[in-house]
Amino acid sequence: MNIGWYLAVSTIIFAIGAAGVLTKRNALVILLCLELMLNAANLALVAFSRMWGNGDGQIFAIIVMVVAACEVTVGLGLIVAIHRRGLVVDADELSELRG
Amino acid sequence: MIAAIKAPLIDWSALAPFTSLTVGAVVVLIAGLVGSARLRSWLVPGLALVTLAVTAVELLSRWNHPKVIVSEALRVDNLTVTLGLLCVGAAAFAVILSLRSDTEEGVGRGEYHSLLLFTTIGMLILIAANDLVTIFVGLELLSIPLYVLCATELRREHSLEAGLKYLIVGSVGSATLLYGLALIYGATGSTSLPKIGVAISDTGALTDPLLLAGMALAIAGLSFKASAAPFHQWTPDVYEGAPTPVTTFMATATKAAALGILLRILVGPLLPAVDDWAPVIAVIATLSIVVGNFGALGQDSLKRMLAWSSVAQVGYLLAGLVVATSLGIGALVFYLVVYAVMTLAAFAVVIENERTSDDGERLSGFAGLGRRRPWLAGAMTVSMLSLAGLPPTGGFIGKLAIINADASGGWMWLAIVLVLGSLVSLGYYLRVIATMWMTEGSAEKTPVVKQAREIVAVALLAAAVTIAAGVLPSWPLERAQDVGQTVISSR
Amino acid sequence: MELTLLLLLPLATGLLGAVLGNRLVKPLAVLGGLGTLGLAVGLALNYDTALGGSQFTVDKLWVKPLGIHWALTIDGLNLALVVLTAFVYASVVVACALREQENPRLFYFHLGLGASAVLGAFLAQDLILFVLFFDLMLVPFYFLVGQWGTGDRVGATTKMVIYTLAGSLLMLAAAVATGALTASHHGQHVDFLISNLQRLPLGKGTQQWVFLCFAAAFLVKMPAVPLHGWLKDAYKSMPLPVLALFSGVLSKVAAYGFLKLALPLFPDAAASFQDLLLGIGVLSIVYGSALAFTTNDARLVVGYSSIAQLGFILIGIFSLTSDGAQGALLQMVNHGIVTVALVLIVGVLASRAKGSEDLGSMGGIAMGAPVLAVVFLIAAFANLAMPASANFVGEFLILKGVFDSVTVVAVIACLGVAMAAVYMLRAYIRAMHGPDTNGVEQRDLSLREALPILPAIALILALALSPQPLLKRSEGPATAAVIPAAKAANIDPIQTATAAQGKR
Repeated sequence: MNIGWYLAVSTIIFAIGAAGVLTKRNALVILLCLELMLNAANLALVAFSRMWGNGDGQIFAIIVMVVAACEVTVGLGLIVAIHRRGLVVDADELSELRG
Repeated sequence: MIAAIKAPLIDWSALAPFTSLTVGAVVVLIAGLVGSARLRSWLVPGLALVTLAVTAVELLSRWNHPKVIVSEALRVDNLTVTLGLLCVGAAAFAVILSLRSDTEEGVGRGEYHSLLLFTTIGMLILIAANDLVTIFVGLELLSIPLYVLCATELRREHSLEAGLKYLIVGSVGSATLLYGLALIYGATGSTSLPKIGVAISDTGALTDPLLLAGMALAIAGLSFKASAAPFHQWTPDVYEGAPTPVTTFMATATKAAALGILLRILVGPLLPAVDDWAPVIAVIATLSIVVGNFGALGQDSLKRMLAWSSVAQVGYLLAGLVVATSLGIGALVFYLVVYAVMTLAAFAVVIENERTSDDGERLSGFAGLGRRRPWLAGAMTVSMLSLAGLPPTGGFIGKLAIINADASGGWMWLAIVLVLGSLVSLGYYLRVIATMWMTEGSAEKTPVVKQAREIVAVALLAAAVTIAAGVLPSWPLERAQDVGQTVISSR
Repeated sequence: MELTLLLLLPLATGLLGAVLGNRLVKPLAVLGGLGTLGLAVGLALNYDTALGGSQFTVDKLWVKPLGIHWALTIDGLNLALVVLTAFVYASVVVACALREQENPRLFYFHLGLGASAVLGAFLAQDLILFVLFFDLMLVPFYFLVGQWGTGDRVGATTKMVIYTLAGSLLMLAAAVATGALTASHHGQHVDFLISNLQRLPLGKGTQQWVFLCFAAAFLVKMPAVPLHGWLKDAYKSMPLPVLALFSGVLSKVAAYGFLKLALPLFPDAAASFQDLLLGIGVLSIVYGSALAFTTNDARLVVGYSSIAQLGFILIGIFSLTSDGAQGALLQMVNHGIVTVALVLIVGVLASRAKGSEDLGSMGGIAMGAPVLAVVFLIAAFANLAMPASANFVGEFLILKGVFDSVTVVAVIACLGVAMAAVYMLRAYIRAMHGPDTNGVEQRDLSLREALPILPAIALILALALSPQPLLKRSEGPATAAVIPAAKAANIDPIQTATAAQGKR
């Protein structure tokens, strides 16, 4: 099977994730979209790994998963902390800080 | 019967800076559990400082002993030593600057300092990275503790939001970088930087769209971290929302780490593609200079102003990167160090003023500072003059070196952009100076807060170094060019 | 070594005073001023005129990776200007010491830094070093105006800095480009030593924009007419002694820059922009004179007259003749001394007119103050280039040079001479004569007031009696400075250069 198909799917997933981060307002959904972006990269890595016939890409992908989990943990932690303080978990509201 | 296994060869001495930081971070975390608050308040920062000092010594001992370790995952060379020392120094000053802040008592002294040390390890790994996987791991190890640190100023309403905002934007940057790295791997078939370099020069893969796209995404991803325009939008908010010592640390060390790895990738394996990436960097540099300088005009919060100004400063630094010669890289490294020092001076003054004045972080809080506390105002003045690039400061020599590199490398228009940007920057740097020295005002807190000697000392030290770098720049510039030479010759 | 000492002495004494405390500040600053003057005069006396050329040279590699030298020297071109700077600084420090300043420690520190930077700019033989000192000059004056000025001092000082730095920063880029582009043009590595760059001129096209950047920096600093917007506010709010230093020597650095850098390094561009700069010069003369004639502010009369005088200097330089350049050099010195005297006299006048510097609130001061009247008259006559004054010789040489090269310009510039007589005498008469309708204090010069002024008056008289020593030393280098550009413009630079002195 042509590598191009895998790449196309991964690009589409990456684009969906990026679009989601840019347009969605709920911080939770944004975190989900971030995961999409990372996993798009994982798909590409694994596909390339298969293409080149070496394991580098797979190792990379596994490490990315671990790191992504850490990132989400911190993100969720922050969201919980914000929620506890009675603030709104809404990206637009967040920008009480301008910019 | 236990079979003997062949253990991998580990160069412990080259790995020492990394191990000592890791051990130190864990020890500091545990020391944070000590029961007595008074004991904790000096034991934890003390241990953190000891750790950083040991790391600094270990790094120094690796000067001129380049070595590739951990099965080619890390390269400890002069670039690693120089920028590593910068990051370790920035961390140490962050520890000193937060000695009296009451914020970390809320989040736990141990955790606060431990996170700071973990971030520093991430920076060290990122700068030393010799492999795509290491780059990503280093970047995330740098970023994740920093997200938390940004959110530790519980008193400030915006701190949590700043943390979350930084997390979202930073993760977008990481994901972009990761996708770029994946494409580079796809184009070359290896994650090791030297092998990628070989693959590029062997196959002449320069026209490969996969590689070019990967390169563009990687540059964009790292630009998020370095807060270069147009990936800078988060900077003012996060700088303002984070506790000021953490902001100081971010403004100095994170930038150094991000630019260090950008340097290592672009001038390392991607050097054959210099004609492809140099225009991109030049455009980013120009945008940063323009956006940063105009954004900083009219800011009333010093932290926001310094954030915008840091965007512009990254533009100046990238203008040095465009010229991928030892001249350009030397100028970049020199200016990076000077930038860190002068920014440290500015933030130290802001921290002290925040403590002692009502409106400390606003421009109005600086009114009459020259009369109230001439030494503090003097340090701020030196820092502002240096950031603006006026003699006799390191900022002047740094800009001179970058302009020199640009002019020699045929990028004269970029040098002119830099100069015009500096002119605009006077509009806000001079405003600070004028407010301190030329307007009346007494914004002292009532009751009067005791002055923090160690913060004033940091500010004065940084200001003195800034002047020294402007008066005797020969030695540091030569070392910076050595670094440039090692980066180029290491490929 | 002597030159490094000379350069650093004002700064060192200023710094020492700032550190040691309020009581020692004034003595130290005065000591620094007189020491600088003594050192400068000593060097001038030891300068071997017969030998000529560069003497007391210091040349050390300062920033090795960038090839910047700590290169200082005294030659015929800057000898008089260095002495002038030391003299003005000494007078100004004495004048300041006789008044009370707020926050004297920082005041004298900035003053010393300013003097050191000016001396550095005059002495520097490395292009980057010159630019560094040229930029550095601005920093202390930013504070001196902003902290010790009057009126809208912050606005005035900000305007001044932005104006001047716009030019200076462009010059910085242009200076660095000069080195880098020379290297690529000639395919060999060069440093920034002016003498080395002079041997390897840039290509014609490059010269043009580099020259324009330099010219912009110098014209703003002088200031010449379309770029003089900062002058009024800055002059209005500057403390008087500071104004004496600023107006007396800083503008000369710019004019000196044309002679030292712009003409020898970019001769082709200088030749092709000759008409433009002559035009700016003439415009400055006419417009500056007109402004000086219409203003009622004694201080601005001096300021606007500076614009006109520097216009003369500019056309002298860009006549591209030996006479013109020499006259310009002489005129720089003359104008420096006269300005110091005039600015300090304005201070005295204001103290007689209840602190107002408006000519309308003065009048009749001369009746009870004969010494003051004489002193003012001497300075005024010198400024309007009365025959027998050194200014007359200077302007005569300038006009002769311009007449030989571009006749029309000389004719219009002659008008400027006449206008100078009108505005100077008008100012003098309105301040000193006429009925005393405003109840001014008709008190003569006190010793305290006279101390900083009289040396300047003495120097004016001395130069009037014998300008020859000055002209003799400057003839060679001034001619050498214009020769390359004159060649490019097809002008014979040495039409009987000594004729003017013969006539006298």
